[in-house]
Amino acid sequence: MEDYNNNQIPEEEEVQKQEEQIPKFRGLYRYVNISVKQLDMIIGLCILVIIIVVAIELMDPGFTVSFNSLGGTDVAPQEQMYGDLIEEPIPPTREGYTFTGWYRDSACFVPWDVEKDTVETDTTLYAGWEKIE
Amino acid sequence: MTNPIANIQRSVADFRQMDKADKKRYITDLVFNNALYILLFVFVIYTAIQKPNFLSLGSFANLVIQVAAYLPMALGIAGCIVLTGTDLSAGRISGLTAAVAGVFLQKTDFVNKMFQNLPEVNGWWIAATLLTVVAIGAIIGLVNGFFVAKFSLHPFIVTLSTQLITYGIILWFFALNGNNGQPISGLSDEYKTFVNGEMFRLGNVAVPRYVLYSIILIGIMWFIWNKTTFGKNMFAVGSNAEAAKVSGVNVFWTTVLVHTLAGAAYGYTGFIEGARSGSVAPNTGLNTECDAIAACVIGGVSFVGGTGKISGIILGVVILRLIFVALTMLGVDSSSLYIIKGAIILCACALDMRKYLVKK
Repeated sequence: MEDYNNNQIPEEEEVQKQEEQIPKFRGLYRYVNISVKQLDMIIGLCILVIIIVVAIELMDPGFTVSFNSLGGTDVAPQEQMYGDLIEEPIPPTREGYTFTGWYRDSACFVPWDVEKDTVETDTTLYAGWEKIE
Repeated sequence: MTNPIANIQRSVADFRQMDKADKKRYITDLVFNNALYILLFVFVIYTAIQKPNFLSLGSFANLVIQVAAYLPMALGIAGCIVLTGTDLSAGRISGLTAAVAGVFLQKTDFVNKMFQNLPEVNGWWIAATLLTVVAIGAIIGLVNGFFVAKFSLHPFIVTLSTQLITYGIILWFFALNGNNGQPISGLSDEYKTFVNGEMFRLGNVAVPRYVLYSIILIGIMWFIWNKTTFGKNMFAVGSNAEAAKVSGVNVFWTTVLVHTLAGAAYGYTGFIEGARSGSVAPNTGLNTECDAIAACVIGGVSFVGGTGKISGIILGVVILRLIFVALTMLGVDSSSLYIIKGAIILCACALDMRKYLVKK
């Protein structure tokens, strides 16, 4: 075995050099150089983050249902669990308009049925208004 | 031929013969390689204890419905991942096609209808709309694929730019005809029934028709991946593009077609999503590609390229949805779910690499 300067180098070292040049991965991980130990640390860390986030959330579980009265009187937000019905709030009032119910979208197309629709995530409901002629 | 019980007995016998250091390594490998499954198991057990409702038939139906809704995008994106790429434009493409489908299929007598002169909604018009939105998705996918294949640009760059361009088009679209960015609603009942119509009930929960469509889609994708030359070429290009080229595979067209097929899948996702959510806003579909990518990586469609199975993708989507259904029932809100999703993606990639390293 000879290197560029014609010096003798041990065979084992040559093999080791070649091994280092072969990438450990293909594809998107081609340039990744990482050991199993480091990977274990990353995995452990991720699991830890997930557990901590879930633990923090479980201290105060539930979803906030907020009400946007779109110009009417304010309505207090509610804390509800998944699958619960919302407690029907006292209807807001607005001068010159009558209240037509709560809607899922600000354009007031998709109504929220207080007796049937259940909370699935953090929700904002919008008040529908009809102008008094 | 392989008897599972005999297999377990053999591994137990092997385990007994190991020395102490080997035993320790074996257990560490077992724990780390299955870290996500163990975590899932803990969540499921905890949720089942806290909310007995979680183990009901209705909750199972709910899981199936969610899997059916999220699966099409994952099936599309998986092809890009097999080619060692990815697709960041998936969510926005589905948002655009949802908007187009919504506008085409608004109620005829709806006051805020965006285009007044569209034909009345019937079976033919729904089919035409479905074909149109799938074509729109496929065209954007074709653009992605062309730039990736022709100039060897990394899919991250190409799809990031198409993601933004598509969002611009979405905003344009929502501003058409004096709509001024308002959500598109007043979707026709025919459209809603076609997608959301009840097939049968499972413990108080109506199973919508799109569950059936997703099953059909699984069949189509399985056929394309496993039984066609195109599918085999895709895996060849994914594992080694140079070798595939030498053995006569048209790498250019394979790459273009994989992205086009993915685009078509996002187009279909948008069509379903429009009717599913009842109204389409400019932000519909935002970030849904992250779920799809995470599901693929969990399901063994590896970023090393050239590996992956349809069954793996389904498993990945089921695992991800199961985690989210459990967490939602426990009352974990959606903002924290993003942190958890991020951690899961990193964790799944690390697990993927770990399996690869340990095998060596």
